[in-house]
Amino acid sequence: MKKKGVGIGISFYGIGYGNGFPDVSKAVVRLLDGGKIGIYTGATEVGQGSKTVLSQIGAETLKIDSKDILFICEDTSLMPDSGTTAASRQTYNTGNAIKTACEKFREELLDAAQRELGLNSVSGLTMEKGEIYLNFFPHKRISFKELSKTYKDNPIEVEGIFTAQTVEMDSETGQGAPYWPYTFNACGVEVEVDTLTGKVEILKAVFAQDTGRAINPKLVEGQMDGGFAMALGYALFEDLEIDKGRIKNNKFSKYLIPTAMDMIDVKNIIIEDPENTAPYGAKGIGESVTIPITPAILNAIYDAVGVRITEIPVTPSRLLKVLADKA
Amino acid sequence: MKEIKLKVNGIDYILNIDEDIRLIDLLRDKLRLTGTKEGCGEGECGACTVIMDGVSVNSCLVMAFQADGSNILTIEGLEEEGKLHPIQKAFIEEGAIQCGYCTPGMIMSVKALLDKQPYPSREEIRKGISGNLCRCTGYNKIVDATEMAIKYIKEEGV
Repeated sequence: MKKKGVGIGISFYGIGYGNGFPDVSKAVVRLLDGGKIGIYTGATEVGQGSKTVLSQIGAETLKIDSKDILFICEDTSLMPDSGTTAASRQTYNTGNAIKTACEKFREELLDAAQRELGLNSVSGLTMEKGEIYLNFFPHKRISFKELSKTYKDNPIEVEGIFTAQTVEMDSETGQGAPYWPYTFNACGVEVEVDTLTGKVEILKAVFAQDTGRAINPKLVEGQMDGGFAMALGYALFEDLEIDKGRIKNNKFSKYLIPTAMDMIDVKNIIIEDPENTAPYGAKGIGESVTIPITPAILNAIYDAVGVRITEIPVTPSRLLKVLADKA
Repeated sequence: MKEIKLKVNGIDYILNIDEDIRLIDLLRDKLRLTGTKEGCGEGECGACTVIMDGVSVNSCLVMAFQADGSNILTIEGLEEEGKLHPIQKAFIEEGAIQCGYCTPGMIMSVKALLDKQPYPSREEIRKGISGNLCRCTGYNKIVDATEMAIKYIKEEGV
């Protein structure tokens, strides 16, 4: 018999290394020949989109197009370290370092513009689209390109550093504030359980994720879909069989991950509630997007067939056994 | 050694190959077409998908000598005069690429699907790419990109 059920899962998840551990990101911003802006940071792009998002943060701060940024990463012989691409931390931590660096860089450029334009102060100077000009007398203006020529032998360069604020937990009581900030999410799914075969099918899903600010909504959706699919595999298929330290099912024909046919269209909802310590309010979501999905699926199975599953993945044979034990 | 003739991305080749190499080895090591990726090496992941005589195949499961006389299309053959194929363009615009390792094979499967069936439903697209595993995207942006590519192909008449 086929039985339908619905379930929800909710979670919150801390960004960064946490627990008082030193968590430092650095970035260097430099005026390049031709007036382009170089951003150098150790942050590693693994496909999640950090290059795009971190370039956008730099572009927003300097009021330029991201095409005018040369974003160089992943080579610590050329740039300062920005910690690991882990702990959902690059948007928040390195984003903050880049924003700080770009704000300092902006001050340096304004000072340089004041000198080159022979002005009394930086008051009334506006920076946009690669130019700096005096608001009430726009004839007084200088471009990044012109500044780059003037400072060719001694390029304008600044470093920005961000150190995350976290507090070590009390090792006796486990109390404290080990992370900051947190992201929040909620997922609801509808499943259909075939009590004859033990197969679980996801029929519908809705997933809301707090991002603080979605710097790039498409990339956020991509992370949400990806997290959903990973958690779907975790809940229903993926079972690593280890025997005396050896993985027995070390091939895709034996270790199943979701295909496009197992995945469904998820109704993704991005919640924007800007975090005031974050760059433009943006928090990281790389890991949090997998967390509430499996609980939601297990709750939906409970709703459908009235059994609590305490071991994952819920393979057909495992589910049939649990149903038989109950009967 | 064995001499074979084949066409790859519109170019005719006559090659002397060892009998024990696979099509993916011929493409990557002999012709240096490294856009085609090797994933599992046993036909489960689809990363090495190319189109052989109009049919998508796992190039890790085809022996190079079996490609004698065939017409092969790889990811490098999609671009025309420096212009990306509509499927490639749509993948970029929709954010259908994350780490990118499955992407060449995924795009070749979409191409093979659309060549046969120009207006598939979302379910048919899912079926068409179900032989290509992706761990990053959850596939939905890839399905979206395929729908966008269908629109582009219709507009551009590719």
